[in-house]
Amino acid sequence: MSEEAKKADVLEERIDALKTEQLESALRHLRSRLDSRDAALAHSCLRCGLCAETCHYYQADPSIEAHPAYKLNLVLAVFKRYFTVVGRAAPAWIGAGELDQAMIRKWLDSLFGRCSLCGRCFLNCTVGINIPRLIRAGRGTLASLELVPLELQSTVRTAVEKGNNMGIERQDWRDTVEWLQEELAMEVGDPSARMPLDEKGARILYTVNPREPKFFPLSLVAAAKIFHAAGESWTFSSDCYDVTNYGLFSGDDQVAGQIAQRLREEVTRLGSQVLVLGECGHGYNAHRWEAAEWIGNTGTSLEMKSFIEVMAGYVRDGRIRLDPSLNTKPVTLHDPCNLVRLGGVIEEQRFLLRRAVSSFVEMTPNREQNFCCGGGGGQLSMSRFARRRLEAGRIKAEQIRATGAKVVVAPCHNCVDQLTELNKEYKLGVEVRTVAEVVAKAVVTNG
Amino acid sequence: MFSPSFLVWAVVASALFAFGALFWLVLSTFRFRRPHPAWTTDDRAWKGVQYAFGRGMLPQEKESAGKHRLTLAAGILYHSGIFAALSHLGYLLLGAPVPAVLSQPSQILFGISACCGLALLIKRALTPQLRAISCPDDYAANVVVDAFLLLSLLAARDRAWLDWLLIVSLIFFVYLPIGKIRHCLFFFYSRILFGLFFGRRRVLPHPGREAQG
Repeated sequence: MSEEAKKADVLEERIDALKTEQLESALRHLRSRLDSRDAALAHSCLRCGLCAETCHYYQADPSIEAHPAYKLNLVLAVFKRYFTVVGRAAPAWIGAGELDQAMIRKWLDSLFGRCSLCGRCFLNCTVGINIPRLIRAGRGTLASLELVPLELQSTVRTAVEKGNNMGIERQDWRDTVEWLQEELAMEVGDPSARMPLDEKGARILYTVNPREPKFFPLSLVAAAKIFHAAGESWTFSSDCYDVTNYGLFSGDDQVAGQIAQRLREEVTRLGSQVLVLGECGHGYNAHRWEAAEWIGNTGTSLEMKSFIEVMAGYVRDGRIRLDPSLNTKPVTLHDPCNLVRLGGVIEEQRFLLRRAVSSFVEMTPNREQNFCCGGGGGQLSMSRFARRRLEAGRIKAEQIRATGAKVVVAPCHNCVDQLTELNKEYKLGVEVRTVAEVVAKAVVTNG
Repeated sequence: MFSPSFLVWAVVASALFAFGALFWLVLSTFRFRRPHPAWTTDDRAWKGVQYAFGRGMLPQEKESAGKHRLTLAAGILYHSGIFAALSHLGYLLLGAPVPAVLSQPSQILFGISACCGLALLIKRALTPQLRAISCPDDYAANVVVDAFLLLSLLAARDRAWLDWLLIVSLIFFVYLPIGKIRHCLFFFYSRILFGLFFGRRRVLPHPGREAQG
């Protein structure tokens, strides 16, 4: 039996062993996490079916299980059955359904396995239903039953226990930063160039995706080079540097809030003024927008920015100068769903690329109408759905190929990973870079 | 069959029931927890709401509509006919004559609208994917509304159909809050939430495109 099959079986065993009390508890959980907005949205779906082609899963596999309205109505069926009068009286008439083992299996397969919470169906819904929000409520209900796919749950648990989702030990992180500082000094030709750690009072606390120190350390050097060129006062934290928040994907609001709160407390502890969220789409969405719903307004007016916005600010203010002739290959830009469609950081990366590369070409569609690369929603963690993920990325691969670009820039490390896999799978022959890497290469240093 | 005044009052009562039930449905959403206070709104959020009810309804802004223009057109005509038929019913219930200038156009609209409704019903029944996500309510709601439109047309042409229109109107109003026709209210609710969401996050209306002119 393969490792994936074993993991799947554990969930199967748990589903088989579910007791009535557990299902009742799950319903209470669902009831408690839905707010009045969700209840209104639950009354709104017309099942017009026009959302079908907005979904990259459906584009790759036009089966009913991949249809956004089908996925949404799996959650709505339960809502109607237990929380509406007609659903209690005549469930079959309005498509209401019991929360039983069969429904749980469908939820697991569709809500986790066929959705990246990218929000494209939401943006294009004829009514405007926040489909990912309701699907996430379904995921959260599964989380309350300990039915989150184990690979994703393990990422969440590691983040909570170790402070970062890759389980990097504190000393390893500090050693990495120290080593990278030497790289930075060589790169900028300035022995005094620093990658500060735990510097109290630094204006910026910079957070990163732990995949960077683990697999892409040079992207940290790129960011440091930009800070150095801009003469910024910034620091890393030894303990709280992880911008990711996989609680967003598991649907567990409590854990998501815990992770978000930790970063806020670190900003306070270090006395920083701005929390800068590194190139991580879901990290930006989670901390900038969603966290307020998990932990509320903390009473502090914490300024939070994407590193993209910070870099663009440096260029606008003349703190760094860019030379596009230093990036000659044709470049295209992938818009991470959580940063762009759900995050609102849309034009700054374009502003930067137009100044940092000599040939920039947009994908079609782009900006808030972009297609998900397929790596979001925790899909990269859930190895059991890897084949679907790669197939769902086909439309993104076709978009990239159509641009003729040789470099794909993605301001999100999850997207970078997925695009790297798509590059191999669909033989695109491109390089995948972050915005910081491209900008750092174009930075003109004095002298 | 029934006395005309009985039917009129029955329709009025059913309409009141529909409004009351819709109001109750909205109130029932507030039995769920209140959105977190952090979910505040600002000027940008309200611009998003303006967008949601304005440009955001255009097919070039909404892929689901843009890629299905025939369905969109049918939907617009269908709903226009429904609102016209409701106005027509209002005149009948008040015993007021329908303005002559509106009589002929409204009859044409009722006819076209009923055909659009029927076409949408056939589309739902014949498209496997659409059938798979449908429940009996989807068909019933369509049939009730189509019958309402058809009888509005017939009653507008010949008063002999008036009783039948009133009977179908009664069914229509009673069914309204029970099934998907409740979207006549929740559509607006959802669009407001849509606008607030994307407006607050500076996604819509497209700030970048505005800046680029």
